[in-house]
Amino acid sequence: MSTLLNISQLSWQIENKAILQNINFNVCKGEVIGIIGPNGAGKTSLLRCLTNQGNILSSQNITGNVQLKNRSILQYSAKEVAQHFALVMQKNETIFALSVQDVMKMGLLPHKSLFSLDSDHDKAQISLALKKVGLSNSLHSHFNQLSGGEQQRVLIARALVQASQILVLDEPTNHLDVYYQHQVLQLVNKLNITVIMTVHDLNLASLYCQRLLLLDHGQLICDGTPEEVLTPEQLSKIFGLPCQQSIDAITGATHVSFYLNESNEQHSHFSETLDE
Amino acid sequence: MNKVSTTLIVLVCLVVVSAMAAITFGPADIDSSQLISCLVGNCQNPIANVVIWQVRIPRVLVALVAGMGLAIAGAILQNTTRNPLADPYLFGIVSGAGLGATIANISLADNLTIALPLAAFLGALFSVIIVVFIAKVLQRMEQLLLAGVAVSFMLASITQFILYFGEPFATNRVIFWLMGSLARVEMSNFYVIASVLLIAIITVLALHRQIDALLLGDESAASLGVDVDKLRLLMLGLCAALTATIVAYCGGIGFVGLMIPHIVRQLIGVTTLKLIIGSALIGAIFLIWVDVIARSSLPHAEIPIGIITSALGSIFFLFIMYRSRAVT
Repeated sequence: MSTLLNISQLSWQIENKAILQNINFNVCKGEVIGIIGPNGAGKTSLLRCLTNQGNILSSQNITGNVQLKNRSILQYSAKEVAQHFALVMQKNETIFALSVQDVMKMGLLPHKSLFSLDSDHDKAQISLALKKVGLSNSLHSHFNQLSGGEQQRVLIARALVQASQILVLDEPTNHLDVYYQHQVLQLVNKLNITVIMTVHDLNLASLYCQRLLLLDHGQLICDGTPEEVLTPEQLSKIFGLPCQQSIDAITGATHVSFYLNESNEQHSHFSETLDE
Repeated sequence: MNKVSTTLIVLVCLVVVSAMAAITFGPADIDSSQLISCLVGNCQNPIANVVIWQVRIPRVLVALVAGMGLAIAGAILQNTTRNPLADPYLFGIVSGAGLGATIANISLADNLTIALPLAAFLGALFSVIIVVFIAKVLQRMEQLLLAGVAVSFMLASITQFILYFGEPFATNRVIFWLMGSLARVEMSNFYVIASVLLIAIITVLALHRQIDALLLGDESAASLGVDVDKLRLLMLGLCAALTATIVAYCGGIGFVGLMIPHIVRQLIGVTTLKLIIGSALIGAIFLIWVDVIARSSLPHAEIPIGIITSALGSIFFLFIMYRSRAVT
């Protein structure tokens, strides 16, 4: 598989706090990668650096390299970056009554010049993308009136219209109920494009990602398959709770369960969490 | 043909009909046949010819472009700040223009024809520069509106201080100017406003996709390749120049930029291309007819146009509030 992204010695420090510390990994074409870790581990910060959001990599606080197709991402214009990465963010709220079609048209932006209008080809692309996410009949629906899961699917369809090579999702299952969590992640898996996403639920990450990156305190602790990363030793240390690994009888995926015993209440991480 | 295209065609026809009809309103009795013969250069009545070409047409054309400009400025600001209550007047533009006009009135009483609009324009730009500077210092562009309200009150208090100690005649002049009027506009004013309006429309049409991308949040827009801060600053500068030019010649005409985009969203759509075209057309129709009301409701006097727009605007918003309460 050819390498799309190469991250080397990436560090980000704000005052005395290390947001990211010496991160190194590659992303190959077609991989579905999940970034996992506790709150504040640096998952979203890593996504911001990978996509150079707001030209963040030019900041003096950040060192290291992010290479996209063997070229520093800093050499790409914002429009070129948008042609390579499609982002689906956690919060997508609008107070105006945007239709699904209006949201979908935003995906055309990185490929359009000034003054350009929509072509028949654009309309066909939008219809095709909506069909892929199972929302063919929602073109004229109000975006705000859709369920959380449907909104996520519209945004994934927008990413398809954006025709980028890498789909980046920040907590795509946040605020979704169990049914929509699986629906959205299954959809992402079926798209056959490179996906990098932050996921809070370790079992969902295990089920839908081929590869996991485990972050803690800005450090990349482990990079590998779900079975390699989700080990009880590592997870107990990072999350501060005893953990058991098993194989799910139905899906065959690595499954982890956390539990609480009396000794955990003495654990510093757990006590701090309770204090907060 | 879809609903949006049909609505836009109807609106274009209404703009033309409104402009033609508005020319026939006024103290001098001019009917439609006289109007048409004068417009095609076959005028039998020289007085009617002068009234039409030198008084009525400049006034209607200025109402047309001022209505378009104020509505477009409101529409741009609302979409770029994602705030349906954003209005060019909230950025301290009128207060700045008022301060400029006050200083011109107090210190340059002899040559006010040029000095007053120029000073008003400079005052308006000055206020916008302060607003943007404050937002930049705070490093929060989304706080532009709050900074605008603060600057607006600050400049208004300076104006009131100067007027309080100023000569009563000059004070009256400034107060009447701030109420807004199209009574003294000339054809040259139309050319200036139309030029700025044209630049604004071309810029917005060029960047309509970028502005639309902001509607789903700054992060989403940035991910689509938009330089959010730069775009917002450009649009604010454009709205400031447009509003300042209109205010400089026509005085304070409030609520147009707030009210018209709201109507357009219900009728045509929320994305920038539809909103701008719709706001331009409905804004033009609105101000042409408000000016007709301003100059024809009283027998021997005019009502300042800003009073009517503010009255209609406030009633409109109470109606909207009542309707949304009924819905929820």
